[in-house]
Amino acid sequence: MDELYLDNIDEYVNDHNKIVTYKWLSLTLGVHVNTAKQMLFHYLDHKRKESSAQLHATYLVSGKSVDKGQTSHKVSVVREEQLEDCKSKMSLIVSVHVYSVQKALLKDSGPLYSVDYDAVKDNLKDCSRYSAIRCADAVPMSSLELQQVREPQRAPTPEPEPKKTATNGDVANGTSKPAAKQQKGIMGMFATKAAPKNQDADKEVKTEQKEDAPVVDAPKSKPAAKTNPMTNFFGTQTAKKPEKSVKQEEAAQSSSTAEQQRQSSKPEEKPKAAAVEAPKTSKKDSSKTKRIEDSDSEDEIMEKKKRRRIKKPEPDSSDEDIIPDSPQQMETKEKSPSPKKKKEAEPVSHTHSHSDIKTRKRRRVMKSRTFLDEEGCMVTEKGYESESYSETEDDFKPTKPALKDPVPAKLSLSSKQDEKKSQKKTSANANKGSKQASIVGFFQKK
Amino acid sequence: MTTLTRQDLNFGQVVADILCEFLEVAIHLILYVREVYPSGIFQKRKKYNVPVQMSCHPELNQYIQDTLYCIKPLIEKNDAEKVVVVIMDKEHHPVERFVFEISQPTLLSISSDTLLSHVEQLLRAFILKISVCDAVLNNNPPGCSFSVLVHTRDAATRNMEKVQVIKDFPWIVADEQEVHMQEPRLIPLKTMTSDIVKMQLYVEERAQKT
Repeated sequence: MDELYLDNIDEYVNDHNKIVTYKWLSLTLGVHVNTAKQMLFHYLDHKRKESSAQLHATYLVSGKSVDKGQTSHKVSVVREEQLEDCKSKMSLIVSVHVYSVQKALLKDSGPLYSVDYDAVKDNLKDCSRYSAIRCADAVPMSSLELQQVREPQRAPTPEPEPKKTATNGDVANGTSKPAAKQQKGIMGMFATKAAPKNQDADKEVKTEQKEDAPVVDAPKSKPAAKTNPMTNFFGTQTAKKPEKSVKQEEAAQSSSTAEQQRQSSKPEEKPKAAAVEAPKTSKKDSSKTKRIEDSDSEDEIMEKKKRRRIKKPEPDSSDEDIIPDSPQQMETKEKSPSPKKKKEAEPVSHTHSHSDIKTRKRRRVMKSRTFLDEEGCMVTEKGYESESYSETEDDFKPTKPALKDPVPAKLSLSSKQDEKKSQKKTSANANKGSKQASIVGFFQKK
Repeated sequence: MTTLTRQDLNFGQVVADILCEFLEVAIHLILYVREVYPSGIFQKRKKYNVPVQMSCHPELNQYIQDTLYCIKPLIEKNDAEKVVVVIMDKEHHPVERFVFEISQPTLLSISSDTLLSHVEQLLRAFILKISVCDAVLNNNPPGCSFSVLVHTRDAATRNMEKVQVIKDFPWIVADEQEVHMQEPRLIPLKTMTSDIVKMQLYVEERAQKT
């Protein structure tokens, strides 16, 4: 009976040519994630001894790494070939386990995320039932509590906030004490758990506060899009949004991802690259229109925040490179909606600059420029450029011309004076993007 | 909450739009996975809530968009039987053919509530399957190029000419050598059945590639 799982995995990998991740396996077979990891390991071992088929595996490595004097907790998914390399770079290895097994050599990490997407979606309410991460405080909010959170957005934040400000501050600062100033409880949590069950199929950096930060984010600002914010803590599909928005706030170190060599020659755009995003929004329109419908009934501020959140997963879904602090810090600032900045109790460290004045600032944004060089070759360069913006600006605004929904029009009217400048810059690109608007929104317009 | 019938003009357009979007993503992904172009020109984007690789090269993108723009009217009228992405070696002999067989039910009335997410899920599965297809395929020789062929039912190409004139993007009847492959091996990849469309994806691969 104990050996049956080997045949099961064999069937999935060889006959169906599936990518078997430990999370998918645990949800499919109904076992605890740690058991699933061990199953995969034994299967791999078994097959390697037989040396029958060509199998590839990816591993999840989590541990402490020291980078320029800063220690941070790094979690990364690496290919087998890079495993030893990655392990040697870490000062302390907390856990190493098999992430997935597949027949094909994956060129990038995208499919790993896709594999888990449907499995998690099917089990949205309790996708963490086999998970190894627990937090007694994280319980779904009742709808009453949700109402209370939504309405007094400008009211003083609830008292858990100050407790977590230290954490948030660390998260937001990026340069400062990520690992050093850990709360004992969180450290304990990480020490005991084998590996965080994270939905990090995108292979991004986490610091320890990451687990806490979504909890903070959820009561603070985000209305529940699809499920309760608290359940998002355990990393459901929709939780990827608050979690990913937190990831951007985190330390500058990025994961040594499986594609780091490749990516180093092709730096990914991270924070709002307005020029490239315009064509992208047309791709995202299908998912975005759905969420925009959800927020239709709420007031404008909620929509603004919601849109920020929707925007976040998009750049996040790309692999990260080493990202300088400044763009991330600027993003951290944008995330806190402007009313909140008025609060002293509010983590001032959340925002790097003046928290109570809406000023125009310059920030460095990764932009993509296409031009013809001397030889007549078309060159696309991705580089950081300074862009002027103000705190009330929404990242989403450069793409507004591309959208057809009436809702964005409302937004643009309200903050038009702030946005004119950047809109001008990106209008050309936005027009190109509008060519491809998806009509899948047709289904939602009821 | 409205039900759409096949006779509804919107219905054909809706399906065609969905399919063309999907085909665009699929073509980009095939080019990426089969290494027809260097991976440096590709960039990760999101479609159907999962990451996909799309090319940044403007001319390549324009070519693919023009191609699909011309195919769209055929799909609307359910004239396109197969859309084939052919990968050819240096001598323009086909090495691999990714065949998307498309068929739409003629008489249909659907409700759009669950349709969207269901179709999205099925298309996601296609995308995933393309990503792992190189486990079952042999490597291509270097210096490959690609082209897109459309097999139509009956003589639907007459409609194409109108579109060509508008777009200045001429389509020609394919040569025999591009259509037929020596000693093809058939590898099925994925099938999907939904209320609005049935699609099958398989790969024909030449037994000896180099």
